[in-house]
Amino acid sequence: VPPTRWVLLAAALVLAAIGAVMLGTLHLAPGEVVQAAFGSGTPTHVAVVRSLRLPRVLLAMLVGAGLGAAGAALQGATRNGLAEPYLLGVSGGAAVGAVIAVALRAAAPLVPLSGFAGALAAVALTLVVARAAGGRGDPRVVLMAGVVVGAFANAAIMVALANVDANAVRGALWWMMGSVADASWPQVRMLGVYVAVGIAVLLLLGRAIDLLALGEDAAAGMGVDVGRVSVYVYVAAALLTAGTVAAAGLVGFIGLLVPHLVRAAGARTHRSIIGASALAGAALVVVADLVARVARPPAELPLGAITAIIGVPFFLVRLRRLA
Amino acid sequence: VFPPLRIIARRLAVAALLALPSACDRGAARVPPGSAALDDFGDTVAVLPAPPARIVSLSPSTTELLFAIGAGDRVVGRSTYDSWPPAALARTDLGPGLRPNVEAVLGVRPDLVIVYASEDNRDAVRRLRAAGVNTVAYRLDRIADFERVTLSLGAITGDSIAARRTVDTVRATLDRVRAATSGLRHPTVFWRLWESPLLSVGGGSFLNDLLEIAGARNVYAELPQPSPAVTLEDLVGRDPDLLLTGPTTRERVLREPRWQSLRAVREGRLLVFDTAIVNGPSARVGESAVRLARLIHPGVLP
Repeated sequence: VPPTRWVLLAAALVLAAIGAVMLGTLHLAPGEVVQAAFGSGTPTHVAVVRSLRLPRVLLAMLVGAGLGAAGAALQGATRNGLAEPYLLGVSGGAAVGAVIAVALRAAAPLVPLSGFAGALAAVALTLVVARAAGGRGDPRVVLMAGVVVGAFANAAIMVALANVDANAVRGALWWMMGSVADASWPQVRMLGVYVAVGIAVLLLLGRAIDLLALGEDAAAGMGVDVGRVSVYVYVAAALLTAGTVAAAGLVGFIGLLVPHLVRAAGARTHRSIIGASALAGAALVVVADLVARVARPPAELPLGAITAIIGVPFFLVRLRRLA
Repeated sequence: VFPPLRIIARRLAVAALLALPSACDRGAARVPPGSAALDDFGDTVAVLPAPPARIVSLSPSTTELLFAIGAGDRVVGRSTYDSWPPAALARTDLGPGLRPNVEAVLGVRPDLVIVYASEDNRDAVRRLRAAGVNTVAYRLDRIADFERVTLSLGAITGDSIAARRTVDTVRATLDRVRAATSGLRHPTVFWRLWESPLLSVGGGSFLNDLLEIAGARNVYAELPQPSPAVTLEDLVGRDPDLLLTGPTTRERVLREPRWQSLRAVREGRLLVFDTAIVNGPSARVGESAVRLARLIHPGVLP
């Protein structure tokens, strides 16, 4: 990737973030944002900027970066353009965890934690199923195992939701549709750690993923332990995805779409694909969340729906090119 | 060999035609002329010569009403969410009240079933009537619905006098609250029903009616839904004077940094009102108005 493209990408992300902090029900001038961020200005402005919008925009960035990087690594390691983080059963497992918390009438802050536990359990199950089927590193077997675990999770959700209070169901569905509306600084810090560690691990695996992308035999011939590297990639991607799911619910399409865009823009090595996907994913989710926030006041649209609405046309154009 | 689709369709049509007259007959034959009103599905309410002896009520507010007008000892089944009066809890729990299990309802041998008039319940109403059970659907959402539904229930159960007395008592209480608060400044209020997504009391809710009677203005009164989803940012723009929350959330709201963006929270003006004990616009709605008015305007209605 030429350096100018990296600069453009970073500039797009910064512009999106600044715009997202300024815009909303209360429109703030750039000067007011800076003032409020440093704690001067009216108490309402300070609270809106510091405890509503900044954590929200940062959380959206982290969600986008995590999903973009996880998708890029998975598509490389499985040599499959349809691979995406949610296909490993993560989304289904997270939803089951959240719905169980709702059905047991747990307090609202416990719902995402339970979702996180469910996501990790589902990934573990997917990898165990794939291994039991004899395909430890075989991407096709892993993807199919993920689909099966996801289908099982759906059935469990329907059983759990059948007899739950209407408001609680609404809460669970809302969470599943994805939202960063409840962002707080502790959440930003927690997801920040996950995303930093997850992306660092994937960047370190970048060279090995390049070799995997040539084909398993070729990679093995060049001294790559195919099974081990694949499992590392799955686990790192799953941790990234589960972290984003716990913070923001299910934000679809980012993990699938962004790596395609980045490759179309000329990224070739997996280090650059993963890094650029993280930046582009971050910018895209920040913009999508801005749309979710201002499109239909006083209500909010689900973030997951916006990312899909933005994502589908991009993906169709990309499909035409591929076909 | 499986018969072609055309023949199956014809057989189904014939079966449906054969089944239809019996279902219609049962519903129609029970309406004595001149004594009928319509329920909230637009169907005729059948008032039978003998008052019902075994009543199933599948929504919390109609169950509360039945006990209030003296028909409580004839209630044999209720919904899961029915919570008042305590005696109602001793009745058979027949599920959440939407899309009820018709077999379970028929299992308690009711001669009157009352359901909430939601589209979810249309099918169950049709099937209960087809089984020969008098079934009525009420949409008891607003305080304006209260008198109509109470009087109709009184007519069906044969407790018209008690129903009239309940209506008069509630009306007198509401009038007393309205009179006490009408001269006072009406503060603007945000009534928080749910945390994630953030749900407010909207103009379509009886809680909005209660707020107006108790001398306050709902900042989301113009939204037609009963519990619309709103955003904290939009709420900051509306700058309410007061917040109403449930008993468990007050401390959390006061502590959370995001909620500091509201002037009412910074100034500590959060009031606790437990919606769980209100139970819809039913027989205790007058008492709820009194409690709410005392909360918003301390010193009024001593």
